Amino acid sequence: MSAPDTLVLAVPSKGRLMEQSIEIFANGGLNLRKVGNARGYRGEIEGLDNVEVVFISAGEIARHLKSGRAHVGITGEDLVREQMSDWETRIEILKPLGFGHADVVVAVPECWIDVRVMADLDEISSTFRQIHGRWFRVATKYINLTRRFLSSRGLTDFRIVESLGATEGTPAAGTADFIVDITTTGATLKANGLKILDDGLILKSEANLIASRVAEWAPRVREAENIILEKLGV
Amino acid sequence: MVAETAKKFEALEAQAQKLMSVFIKAGHEAVAPAIIQPASVFLDVIGETLRARTYVFTDPDGEELCLRPDLTVPTCRLHIERHSDPATKAKYCYNGPAFRFQPAGAPVVHPREFRQAGIESFGAPDRAKAEAHTVVTVLDGLKAAGLTDCKLYIGDLGLFRALLEGADMPLRWRRRLMHQFWRPEAFRTELKRLTTAAIDVPRDVPKELLTKLDPEHPEDAEKQVAAYLEERGIEMQGIRSLGEITENLLSIVADSKTQPLSAATANLLESYVRVVAPARAAGARLRDLLRDGDIDISEAFDAYQRRLQLLADAGVDVTHAEFEAEFGRTLEYYTGFVFEVVVPQLGRASPLAGGGRYDTLMRQCGAEEDVAAVGGAIHTERLLAALTGDV
Repeated sequence: MSAPDTLVLAVPSKGRLMEQSIEIFANGGLNLRKVGNARGYRGEIEGLDNVEVVFISAGEIARHLKSGRAHVGITGEDLVREQMSDWETRIEILKPLGFGHADVVVAVPECWIDVRVMADLDEISSTFRQIHGRWFRVATKYINLTRRFLSSRGLTDFRIVESLGATEGTPAAGTADFIVDITTTGATLKANGLKILDDGLILKSEANLIASRVAEWAPRVREAENIILEKLGV
Repeated sequence: MVAETAKKFEALEAQAQKLMSVFIKAGHEAVAPAIIQPASVFLDVIGETLRARTYVFTDPDGEELCLRPDLTVPTCRLHIERHSDPATKAKYCYNGPAFRFQPAGAPVVHPREFRQAGIESFGAPDRAKAEAHTVVTVLDGLKAAGLTDCKLYIGDLGLFRALLEGADMPLRWRRRLMHQFWRPEAFRTELKRLTTAAIDVPRDVPKELLTKLDPEHPEDAEKQVAAYLEERGIEMQGIRSLGEITENLLSIVADSKTQPLSAATANLLESYVRVVAPARAAGARLRDLLRDGDIDISEAFDAYQRRLQLLADAGVDVTHAEFEAEFGRTLEYYTGFVFEVVVPQLGRASPLAGGGRYDTLMRQCGAEEDVAAVGGAIHTERLLAALTGDV
């Protein structure tokens, strides 16, 4: 647990997301670095002594912002929307950062040439059930986003199969009929014989600088935030 | 609103006893189905939207379970377990907790944990009679608990289904309209689509393929579709077969060749769903609507009138009951008559009681065939709130 006067900044712990996050801060003249072991997960910002940096996964960052354990963090809008039904009351999106682009989309087998839009899916759903004795199975890691999007498009007759990796392979493997997944270029989907529905874009996501509305904001913490935001040009 | 104080708990218990004794006297056997239910049954019946309002969880064996969102499905399951023939006649009643997720800021009369006291009748061959009995018993219960003033709302999906069946249109259009009935917006869009001359063709299904497909010769069509896929290097994938996809393409072709729905029929359906009138006057309105056309719904209409008469005979004040064609129920499993009991202090969005006919539910719970079933339940926290003025 951090001291009440300390601002907790959550930054992605891996790969391009981490590199680009550190770069954003560097461009604003803030030197973000790890303390102690290079493989550790704690860090600091040079010159700001009441800021504690934690390096964790993007999904974990969304949870930290939701619970208020972190004051400010960098994570994707897809994760925020997936994990919080009331995200607007819990967090504030301060700035889209221009990297980590990913679209969350509905994709169906390419051989379904009779299905182009969501309404087509709805249309075949009852016939599908009659023939196969079950409803559509949708594989995804975005359970809440999927449920909300499909319901809002009038499609209620489906079952979600949670998939924590290689979602695009599930229709071929027979564990799902279609999927909801992230894509940047669509190449992986295409390689797996899938196509995106014309109106199947659920969310255009990118990495965002986000503040938690539910964290404890002591005056000194607010002060540190203002310094950071000013440097980052928010 | 959950009984958080001993006092409220006792008040709910005392009230439940009054309700249950009315139900038992009306011939219903008291049962206590399990609170924890397999999630799959509910997911199959209600669909994924269930997750948005139900506490679904996984147990250490990986089994997906839920806290029951209502007692109707659990009572159906209990009935199936007891009787090898689910069509066996039976009347049950219950009082117990049900659980529904409520978003932050929901009104106090929408607690996430609440008690339902209700009745179910299975296998009764005289539907109108069983429906009237259900309403009368629920109203008797409310009265025994001390409620003096309430309003009854009724609807009847049987009338709408009869209208659709009587109207001249292909079966798949009928299915689509029935499917969209629950979503007024989508229903109107669909109706408009069907009355427009050229039924729109999916953009990416090329005309060149569609023109080659002849609904009269389906066996040839499958070859055409296979050739089309082969040319473009698209491989078959997933459980939907070539035949199934072809079938759907053929129905798209057939749609584009069918005369659009006549304006008269569309108007009739549109006018019907807008009917909101006192229960007796609604019958006359319906007769007026149908006077000029050749749609015959006399059977469903007679059932409606007879049910109303049975209610009146049993002492229900039907002159003040309101009929709504577009009865918005939150659970989609109703198949015919539906009703709700509303009091002014809680408003239309928080009915004290509700129920209806759900003849397909038993099959969805595992029975081989549909079983006549009708039931109704009282939201006991709301009843207590209405009676004590604590809302």
